[in-house]
Amino acid sequence: MPEASVDTFFACALMVLLVLSAMASTSKLLYPYANYAVDRNVSERYEEISKYMLLNAGEPSFWGESNQTITAFGLAKTGSDIPYDLDIDKVSRLNDRNLCAIRYAQLFAALSMSDVSFRVEIASIFEVNISLAATYVESGQTIYRFEVLAERHGLSVAADLKTYVIAEDHVEAGNLHASDGKASVNVTLPDTVQGPALLVVLAKSVYNPAVVSFKAYAFAHNSTSPEPSGAFLKLGPLNHTLTASFTQSNLTLLNAYAFTFDHSSTLMQTTNSNQSASYGIPRFVDSSPIILVVTGSNSSAFFAEHTAYPQVPLQIGASFASSEAHSNVFTYTHSVTIDSVAYECVVWLGGPRE
Amino acid sequence: MRRENRGQIRVIEAFLAVLIIFSAFTVSANLTVSQNRPPRIDLASVGTEALMTLDSDGTLGYYIANGNWTALREALSLVLPIGTTFNLTVYDEYTQRISEAAVSNGGFNSQDICFVEYVCASRNPVFSSYIVHLELAVAS
Repeated sequence: MPEASVDTFFACALMVLLVLSAMASTSKLLYPYANYAVDRNVSERYEEISKYMLLNAGEPSFWGESNQTITAFGLAKTGSDIPYDLDIDKVSRLNDRNLCAIRYAQLFAALSMSDVSFRVEIASIFEVNISLAATYVESGQTIYRFEVLAERHGLSVAADLKTYVIAEDHVEAGNLHASDGKASVNVTLPDTVQGPALLVVLAKSVYNPAVVSFKAYAFAHNSTSPEPSGAFLKLGPLNHTLTASFTQSNLTLLNAYAFTFDHSSTLMQTTNSNQSASYGIPRFVDSSPIILVVTGSNSSAFFAEHTAYPQVPLQIGASFASSEAHSNVFTYTHSVTIDSVAYECVVWLGGPRE
Repeated sequence: MRRENRGQIRVIEAFLAVLIIFSAFTVSANLTVSQNRPPRIDLASVGTEALMTLDSDGTLGYYIANGNWTALREALSLVLPIGTTFNLTVYDEYTQRISEAAVSNGGFNSQDICFVEYVCASRNPVFSSYIVHLELAVAS
């Protein structure tokens, strides 16, 4: 090969490399600025949509109270003067465990925007975690020591705690203060009480009484390990009525309770059939989610099923986990209130990249 | 090199050049598409919603009226998203500053600082109104 050809080849190759490297660098540097205007328009549009979902009551106005078909999507409480005040029943219907749960396809159609997919997540502002630390067996009774942790993304939250222990014919309440977000709860159950038992913890922020979180923990006591939630009953609170739908035959219901941070009540049964039973839920005055517990037994064992009203945490909608590279996906976090309790609502919105 | 073989090296050069060009296009295309965009947060909306949440049950006015700035800082930290830093100043209706201590959860290390003005009233029998200035930034 003559030297001139080799020189020409390397020179051309070097030149092409330099030009293309410059193109790539320029493209990389200018990309955010070139797309800024488009992204900003899309972001503003999506933000307005997320606000629309939370500030609009939807159609029919009271679509949350029964198994109505929704024609326009909106979660706001009808007639409320407070912005971002959501309806307890509309939120509960978003939970797939609700008996009148609404499907994403229905919400998508009700939003009437064919180019926008969305996802809604509503949860307490901080989490409560419960773990069984120790068990002490004494004569005639057993003492269980639980560690309760109130935290937000790993940061402890100072909170006042209210505890309820529910077992067969046994309901006990207690109060604790967790200044550093941690507390030990001792539960003493006599051996005459049949389990499994349920520990319910409600935590209210010391600095903001509207911020309340909760957790329920089922544990064995004179019994086998508790069955997973929903093994015996499917609980659906709606329109201040709790409907317990049987998932097994030959069940006998014993009691139903409603627990809030400051109050508790035994629920009155309003209807009963072979497959379900209904209870009225009182309208409590304190700022707290309502924890609903229904106890009963099948042919062999006692059980205690629970749910919350509103039925949070929940998540409904499309999954954007693998589509961020090809779609415009934006998330918006809003502080919302449901019956005077503050929650965090995250709305994901996505559509084809323009 | 013999005269009749000269064309072959040109063909090889052309193939190599095409290969380089396509490689460069492939690399540059990936460079632009795979950029990770940081999550967008409309701090003005977030700040206003946080103050509205605190004001919905009177907590905001209560803490200001009692000068409980520590509790106000903790309450605000709880309703703002994690990773948001803030600096809050409170004025009375005559625009006199009444929050002497810094109501803040840390220094700003971002150039994108958002400002929110909010007016609230205490729920005491004696009417008092306050002007709340909230500066927000996302911690980098």
